[in-house]
Amino acid sequence: MPNAILEIDNVVKRFGGVAATDGVTLHIAEGQVHGLIGPNGAGKTTLIAQLSGEQRQDSGRIRFAGEDISALSVAERVHRGLARSFQITELLPSMTVEDNIALAIQARSGHSYRFWRDARIEPRVRDPARALLEEVMLNHRASTRAADLSHGEQRQLELAMALGTAPRMLLLDEPMAGMGMEESQKMLRLLQRFKGKITMLLVEHDMNTVFSLSDRISVLVYGRLVASGSPEDIRNSAPVREAYLGNGDA
Amino acid sequence: MTIAEAVVLVTGRRTWRDFAVLGGALILIAFPLIAQAFGYSFLVSIGGRMLIYALAASSLNLALGYGGMVSLGHAAFLGLGGYTAAILTFHHFDDSLLFGFIPGTNNALIVVMASMLVAALFAAATGALALRTSGVHFLMITLAFGQMIYYLFVALKSYGGDDGLRLRRANEFLGVSLRDDVTLYYVCLAVLFAYFVLAGRFINSRFGFVVRGSRESERRMAHFGYRTFCYKLVCYTIAGSVAGLAGALLANHERFVSPDLMHWTKSSELLVMVVLGGIATRYGALIGAIVLIGMESLLSSITDHWMFVLGPLLVAIVLFNRRGLAGRE
Repeated sequence: MPNAILEIDNVVKRFGGVAATDGVTLHIAEGQVHGLIGPNGAGKTTLIAQLSGEQRQDSGRIRFAGEDISALSVAERVHRGLARSFQITELLPSMTVEDNIALAIQARSGHSYRFWRDARIEPRVRDPARALLEEVMLNHRASTRAADLSHGEQRQLELAMALGTAPRMLLLDEPMAGMGMEESQKMLRLLQRFKGKITMLLVEHDMNTVFSLSDRISVLVYGRLVASGSPEDIRNSAPVREAYLGNGDA
Repeated sequence: MTIAEAVVLVTGRRTWRDFAVLGGALILIAFPLIAQAFGYSFLVSIGGRMLIYALAASSLNLALGYGGMVSLGHAAFLGLGGYTAAILTFHHFDDSLLFGFIPGTNNALIVVMASMLVAALFAAATGALALRTSGVHFLMITLAFGQMIYYLFVALKSYGGDDGLRLRRANEFLGVSLRDDVTLYYVCLAVLFAYFVLAGRFINSRFGFVVRGSRESERRMAHFGYRTFCYKLVCYTIAGSVAGLAGALLANHERFVSPDLMHWTKSSELLVMVVLGGIATRYGALIGAIVLIGMESLLSSITDHWMFVLGPLLVAIVLFNRRGLAGRE
């Protein structure tokens, strides 16, 4: 595939006798939103953990922007522009919303072995932090502790923290997890705003979101990709309906 | 001005707090004069010990409170600092060489710097191993390293072993001896003040933010692109060297060091001071040290069974004031 920013080649990860990812090969084009669906336990989160560097695959290769990143650490992958969000919100709970974002920005703007200057008023960190908060509609909560946000707001912050690293590609692990209707709509609008600017791999159970947002969709069942194609193809694919969508109501 | 600061200004909490800090500082400054005026000169010595332990406990708070590194080996740094001071002084008056090539010294500045250096080196070396783990495992490894150093000095007969090592005279700097209780008190107060200023900057610096972030969620920090291990190690090393400084002061204060300084029960004493005063608060460790040493001195002058009274008292304080005596910052 031309302009593939992420190339996953024959990646295998076993836990004991169970293959969580079983020879997954997937190429994602730059600028696209690629949906990844599949039943619970299909290995979606494991795949994201391998892509972000938290888990090492047993075999296979991952290339990002033309570079083999299979052996790089989490931090090194982030510096190359590959960021992820978590299914279970992973915030810095007793710090303010603004501090949460500022730390994401600080990581990519100069080194942090500075012990004297007050980082709370450093414009080159705080200005982009506030701008980003505005973008994800959290600016009115800037000085609230992250732990005191509502669930929906925490999910917005979770997304903003991944965006704060200025990624070329985002791995989104169920951004809508635990959200109500209204909150989901808000998150969907947010994601739509970044579509085209940032390549995304979107793992999500909310089918409306996946089908309305994705350029392409892949289906993962028991660690294997059973189908890959446009949303229309996936909707009409008989094996997919059988294996996953459960005949008919997708 | 951030919104938080504006809120604090309007509610007036900040001015109240500043007032308390200012009042506390004035009391600390005037304390030796007042004690002497009322004929309680011995209190100056206790005051000096409080300040030294406040410094040691504050350094533990840096690693524990802000960095989330709960250690039970912090006394090792205190003891190493103390022994460095005592051994350098010993060789100075003995006119002999340490390891056959290092001359002793009685210069307080050199002694203090050497103590900080030795403690920092030990912290960096042991931290590099211990920080590969976290939580209870980190606690156990720091405990093990601390006890290792303790037994090393128990076995070191040339420096007194079990019996400890006496300093023939206190260290001097520019003709001023640290022997006098009042002089030492003010030196300790100046050092503590300098520490509070530096630590205050440190906490809100870029580095401080990364360390605090690592306490909150190391996973998230890694996904921001930070190598948290390095930041925590630097923080741990700084904390160790400050404890080493406290050790050098303590050696001068008591004019005596013994392996007890490094025993894990000393580490837990520092831990109690931090928790008592308030974890991750700026002045909590100072309050904790004053209260703990104050109660210890008072109760032990009344009864031999003072621990029997102090224990439940501590439990009560921690139970009824979970944030610690310093309150919420």
